[in-house]
Amino acid sequence: MTLSLFDQFLSPCCMLNSLVAIAITLPWILFPSPTTRWLNNRSLTSQNWFLSQATSQIFSPINPPGHKWALLLSSLLIFLATMNTAGLLPYTFTPTSQLSINMGLAGALWMGVVILGMRTQPTHSLGHLLPEGAPALLTPILVIIETISLFIRPIALGVRLTANLTAGHLLIQLTSTATLAMLTIMPVTAIFTGILLFLLALLEAAVALIQAYVFVLLLSLYLQENV
Amino acid sequence: MLSRLQAISVKVTDPFVSLSLVQASRSLQTSSQRLAPVPPLPDHGGKVRHGLIPEELFEFLYPKTGVTGPYMLGTGLIVYLLSKELYVINHETIYAICIGTIIVYGVKKYGATVAAFIDSINEEKVAKAQAAKDSHISFLTEAIENEKKEQWRVEGRGMLFDAKRNNVAMLLETNYRERQHMVTNEVKRRLDYQIALQHLNRRLQQEHMINWVEKNVISSITPQQEKESIAKCIADLKVLAKTTQAKAAA
Repeated sequence: MTLSLFDQFLSPCCMLNSLVAIAITLPWILFPSPTTRWLNNRSLTSQNWFLSQATSQIFSPINPPGHKWALLLSSLLIFLATMNTAGLLPYTFTPTSQLSINMGLAGALWMGVVILGMRTQPTHSLGHLLPEGAPALLTPILVIIETISLFIRPIALGVRLTANLTAGHLLIQLTSTATLAMLTIMPVTAIFTGILLFLLALLEAAVALIQAYVFVLLLSLYLQENV
Repeated sequence: MLSRLQAISVKVTDPFVSLSLVQASRSLQTSSQRLAPVPPLPDHGGKVRHGLIPEELFEFLYPKTGVTGPYMLGTGLIVYLLSKELYVINHETIYAICIGTIIVYGVKKYGATVAAFIDSINEEKVAKAQAAKDSHISFLTEAIENEKKEQWRVEGRGMLFDAKRNNVAMLLETNYRERQHMVTNEVKRRLDYQIALQHLNRRLQQEHMINWVEKNVISSITPQQEKESIAKCIADLKVLAKTTQAKAAA
């Protein structure tokens, strides 16, 4: 059975049992739950430090009513970062490379912030459809453009994450296939391709973390507009 | 959860027995006593060789296969998987080598720094608490010293009161002596006045008497007596003058 390039993105199964649920929930065991101790071990201390830093940084520009979203967005950040970086290991399945998961997260969360804004302060939320300092003549066109951009947001969020990860994984697969194929025929070229693969892997590691942060940052921006 | 299991497994040598014991007894532990006192965390995690394989495997195989036993096991396994094509070398292998290098390099280079940073977070916490404790202790020690100083001052207050009492007594004594002195002076003045008055009286009396006597004597002298006394005086004078001239010539 020959492998096609997209077989790494197939939903994982083991003898007709779907493993997607395990793939999504298993990384949870990497994160220790907080204890009642005053001083903890290194993994828990680093986890606490990172979470407190990230949450304070993301939520400092948001008004206090928006701080109720702290738990949701910080756990989303950890979830996405873990999914992305765990997908960098060989032979793993990256759930966040699937459009279904990303659109599910993006669509639901975006709709949540928009509905929250419309319910609590509808005038303020609708006011975002006309940017400040725009000339009065352009108002009709601008409103239409802003509405379109508002509705594009969930699609953009989901597809951005999917595309980044899928593209990265595909590139890695292509480059490594090329390296392997040329290893016996043209070893020197294989070495260059190997260096390219090395740099690509570094890039993918960075992209994995950055994309998770960008997803959460954009959601926090949408929340800031609406709360 | 896993760290607690690890802590218990450190104490008991056989890992499998300890795990099963913990699982079996977990349902029986219902009292709150198992929550406190919290057992201390081990200082270091379980020892691993090459970052992945626990030291317990090497110790387990040492009696039968010596030092190289686990390495032969690993090599044999890998060779078996490769030769039987249970593990197929494909593009993921190349990628696995790549990402493996990156991960190992990252851990080796930044592992110690990150660990030191995380330890510093904990140490800061401890240092803060220690600083608070130390400042409180120093505050209390200062308070004790101040209290002792106050007690010493209170002891000295008796001496202060004695000195003040002495002072007041001295003032009173001085005042009394002054008044006594004044009284003496006044009495003396009055007595002096009386004495002066008596003297004056005596003198006046004397003078009056003398004057009366003189007047009476002078009025009693007759002219005859006066002439005789003057002639006698002149004769005496002449005699005196002669004797004086004689003394002078001699």
